[in-house]
Amino acid sequence: MTPEHDIPADLIRSSRFRAEREENWKKLDELVSRAEKSGVQSLGYGNTMALASLYRQAMSSLSLARAISMDKALETYLAALCARAYLVVYAPQESIRGVTSRFLSRRIPQAVRRSWFPILLGFFMMIFGAVVAHILYRQDPSWFFTFVPGGLADGRTPEASVDYLRSTLFDDGDQNHEHLAVFSTFLFSHNTQIAILIFALGVFGALPSFVLTFYNGLVLGAFVTMFADAGLGFEAFGWLSIHGVTEISAIAIACGGGARLGLAVLEPGSCSRSEALYRAGRDAVTLIILAGLMLIAAAMIEGFLRQLVQDTMWRLIVGWGIGALWLAWFLLGGREDATGGLNADQESAGT
Amino acid sequence: MSSKTLSIHPPEGVPISFALASIGARFGGQLIDILLTYGGLILFFWLMIFTGIWDWSFLAALFFLLSFLVRTPYYIFSELVWNGRTLGKRITKTRVISADGKRLSAYQIVVRNLMKEVEVFMPIVVLFGGDLIGSESKAFMTFWMIAVLCVPLFSKRNQRLGDMIAGTLVVDQPATVLLPDLAVQNPSDRVDFTFTPEQLGVYGRFELQTLEQILREPPHTQEATDRLDAVARTIAEKIGFEGQVPPSDHWDFLSDFYRQQREFLESRHLFGDTRENKFHAGKSEKPTPKARSDSDHRP
Repeated sequence: MTPEHDIPADLIRSSRFRAEREENWKKLDELVSRAEKSGVQSLGYGNTMALASLYRQAMSSLSLARAISMDKALETYLAALCARAYLVVYAPQESIRGVTSRFLSRRIPQAVRRSWFPILLGFFMMIFGAVVAHILYRQDPSWFFTFVPGGLADGRTPEASVDYLRSTLFDDGDQNHEHLAVFSTFLFSHNTQIAILIFALGVFGALPSFVLTFYNGLVLGAFVTMFADAGLGFEAFGWLSIHGVTEISAIAIACGGGARLGLAVLEPGSCSRSEALYRAGRDAVTLIILAGLMLIAAAMIEGFLRQLVQDTMWRLIVGWGIGALWLAWFLLGGREDATGGLNADQESAGT
Repeated sequence: MSSKTLSIHPPEGVPISFALASIGARFGGQLIDILLTYGGLILFFWLMIFTGIWDWSFLAALFFLLSFLVRTPYYIFSELVWNGRTLGKRITKTRVISADGKRLSAYQIVVRNLMKEVEVFMPIVVLFGGDLIGSESKAFMTFWMIAVLCVPLFSKRNQRLGDMIAGTLVVDQPATVLLPDLAVQNPSDRVDFTFTPEQLGVYGRFELQTLEQILREPPHTQEATDRLDAVARTIAEKIGFEGQVPPSDHWDFLSDFYRQQREFLESRHLFGDTRENKFHAGKSEKPTPKARSDSDHRP
């Protein structure tokens, strides 16, 4: 090796390497900064093309610098630059609209169809709970206080007068109006918490989901029986149906999602438990999002529609009609996939 | 927290490393997000009530809708649109990346933020949201919240539960600063020092890069100058430099030594003789106290 220390212009190898490429790195740095600030869309066609090729050049420079250079500053700089460029180049590419429409049109109905059994079991547990509560209540109305938490009852207890109970079903005054909106908000947050709890605990072997759903059935059964005993059974059924069809379905779907997780843990089949959990997770997450959407819809119905529709017959028609629409969506949506559509997504890991 | 780094293998096959975001940064980011979203919400409603445009029932319904949107949907949308950064993360300069080196998918973003509902929001609501539930489940929730908050402390890559399930990591946004190449600077009006290959062969990569750090900042205080002098004297003694080095030339001496040694080590490296540190010659050679002293001078 000939010493080159006395010729300032004559650079050592790694300095020459850097001097030759520095300009491109700076260009990449500038493009990446712009993309970070206002998105790749703001770069334009030419710059986006340049970004991709400059990124690859920088990657190869980094690889080379690690092999030949002992300049710590250079390696640190290049590593950070490549990391930043990597994050811009490999940004999530889905548009919000694309994700949402694919999710609504295909993933949700398909996930529901794949999980039909746990969801049905969830419904069954809910009804079973309601029947048990009904029988127990008939034997001794004080069971009501065991099943229904105080905050939820809102004065609607077996001791309440029939007039009061009727007034909770039919909204006739403005002073009640305000109260109801707040109460439905409270119910919504209560219901979401329950749905999330039912879902999240499902991972512990599916049983907690079913037990919690059963408990919700108990609350429901106690309420309905109480109203029925006051001679308001049909009215209460209408009052409950208009939002309850959606709400109870949401709880059952959350239960089905949680159960999918638990079943994957209990019975992973041919793959490992964590792998099975990961696979079931995709459907389960879809189901809990669906449950969330349905709970929003239920709260909307509860907050607005129920006050507009005061006739019990119409309440039944609206409630069960909406239920039929949900069912139609789940049964008919996302079917064109089976005939081999143009979906290039690798998400159909299920079935 | 000490900053941990981890390496990601992008499809290009060149490993790149990220510094994991510290627990403090993550907690701060989450706090900023909560303050911004809920603060904005409260401000909005305060204004609405103040102006009195809408009636109460509409406001209540709007409030419950918006307070739902500022939870999970806000995090999902902002991380999708801003590539793994919420407002809080932008402020704390952190971001979410996919642990497998591929691009962050919508599914991962949704999962990690849905888990946030269970991990962060539900316990907060239950703990501070009135007496919806019994005291034993409140105790359970407290326990759950503490357990969940501790997960990132004990997980190897500072992941919370949602990160583990989604396969994501939160890292510091890398900052790029290109420092000048020290081997290029060479003002002509000064004495040059020349070193023999034997002298250059004493140290290895570690010492070279330590010297690089020292040379990044010219000394301004007397203390720094003294330290520089000590480094120069130690090196001159260790390599057995024959000529006299006046204290005024110490900076030039070190610069020259750095450049020549870098060239020497890089070329040895190319020939397959990589010298990681000064113990490269014989592994049995014990470090003398004097030899150790120069690594103590790392700034």
